[in-house]
Amino acid sequence: MSKVGIIGVGQSKFVRAYPGSIREMVFESFKEAMGDAKMKEKDIDATIVCSAPEYDKQRSPSGVFAEYLGLNPQPTFYAESLCSSSTTGLRLAYSLVKSGLHDAVMVLGFQKMSEISAAESQERMGRGADIQWEAPFGTMMPAYYAMFARGHMAKYGTTPDDLALVRLKASKYAVFNDRAMIRKELTMDAFTAPNPLGNILSSPLRVGDCCSNADGSSCLIVASEKKAKEFSEKPVWIKGLGSASASVNMAGREVFYSLPAATEAARQAYAMAGMKPDDIDVAEVHDCFTIAEVLAYESLGFAKPGEGPALIRAKETYKEGKIPVNVDGGLLSKGHPIGATGGSQVRTIVLQLRGEAGDMQVKDPSIGLVHNVGGVGLYANVTILGRE
Amino acid sequence: MSQQNIFYPGALEEKGGRLVQMGNKCRDCGKTFYPAVELCPFCSSEQVEKVPLSPVGTLFSFSVTRVPVGRFKPPIIGGYIDLPEGTRLFGQIRADLKDVRIGMRVKVETGVLWTEKDGMEVLGYYYVPCEAEGGGAE
Ligand SMILES: [Zn+2]
Repeated sequence: MSKVGIIGVGQSKFVRAYPGSIREMVFESFKEAMGDAKMKEKDIDATIVCSAPEYDKQRSPSGVFAEYLGLNPQPTFYAESLCSSSTTGLRLAYSLVKSGLHDAVMVLGFQKMSEISAAESQERMGRGADIQWEAPFGTMMPAYYAMFARGHMAKYGTTPDDLALVRLKASKYAVFNDRAMIRKELTMDAFTAPNPLGNILSSPLRVGDCCSNADGSSCLIVASEKKAKEFSEKPVWIKGLGSASASVNMAGREVFYSLPAATEAARQAYAMAGMKPDDIDVAEVHDCFTIAEVLAYESLGFAKPGEGPALIRAKETYKEGKIPVNVDGGLLSKGHPIGATGGSQVRTIVLQLRGEAGDMQVKDPSIGLVHNVGGVGLYANVTILGRE
Repeated sequence: MSQQNIFYPGALEEKGGRLVQMGNKCRDCGKTFYPAVELCPFCSSEQVEKVPLSPVGTLFSFSVTRVPVGRFKPPIIGGYIDLPEGTRLFGQIRADLKDVRIGMRVKVETGVLWTEKDGMEVLGYYYVPCEAEGGGAE
């Protein structure tokens, strides 16, 4: 069976408000990935553009980018699954290459959230939830994840300070990530009111438990085994892919202490790779909220159900721990430009597996995992990558 | 009198001079569900009929949002309510914060959710605590 590899990765710096246009913002990650893969525009057979369209002023951005980046006349099209859009793009790229239809496919993720006001963005984010049966009653993303935090606390005795530990870890590693938006190490004092991070946003979540909107782009180049070996000395191979969904309306979820779509996506990815949680050397998980990282530990089998908080308390997800998680600062510190986030997570794992992660480098990893979730566990993609 | 509109047509119906939440009951498997979708989510039967929902339920989970969201001012208490017929729905809880906890009994009320800029009153449902009252299906 022929393999499918990732041979180029790029990411713009994630910022609060990118000063240029979306074309220039996307060009930053494009240029880095093309340089990384040592490819020319003609080497790219197709481009998949990923974002959450409710934030985009530009309609149908695929054509705009293909023109600007010199990728005509090759096909270009769009993939969307909210915050997990760019790993959905990766899944599509894999199948396009695996099918033999294309040899090299680009996955271009982007979001320029500052194009609209914060209030407008909050309202639009709420519309990612059920606009008919939930949004009329005044909901927003933190309120949903807050209910999952409350559910986990009620079931397992998790505390707000357990959750804060996830943010402290993220802040420690973001200092080493030159692409992260918030690069300041925090201590538990930051979580005490009147410090702004200590204020309750949606109980029991504090402001410090939540990631921030950002502008940014990410770019991945996916290639067939033949093409990968031709262009790259250190291709990273896609070993396992899992993808699942769950009801939009939370009323359709049985429990509020786990995300079944993520658990199912993980099961598929492990099965395809023929691996188990113990085989993973480094992971990137979707920590849009601190509770989301704890839920990810449990979905991915790094901890048993209810034992996620113990894992972070024991610092097992730190760089020197049993399973390092989000040692690039995570969404919590990097910022979360919706459509670019999954690609940024994949880039980090690719750099880790190539031994090129600088001060973030985990000791000699050979298998890495990316967990990328859209909405409140509405969509979930789990991807396992390896050196061999 | 100001203009009034139900937030989603058919979600509430007038019965005995007051607005009542309506779900669908499946004639084949006997289960009741909300929202009142055309196809039974349990057995895919199309044999469904509109029925009033139980007015009293149990609070499954909730959060208290401390920032404004759209037209609503904080604190906004939102939660999922389990009804005895086995369906779960989302709504605001209008109560003193200190009285709200998972597992509490809540009772539906209907009325104005918000007023549009042009004066249009949007009607819907919300929940209030009802610890003292016996609950369950009508
Ligand atoms: Zn039925």
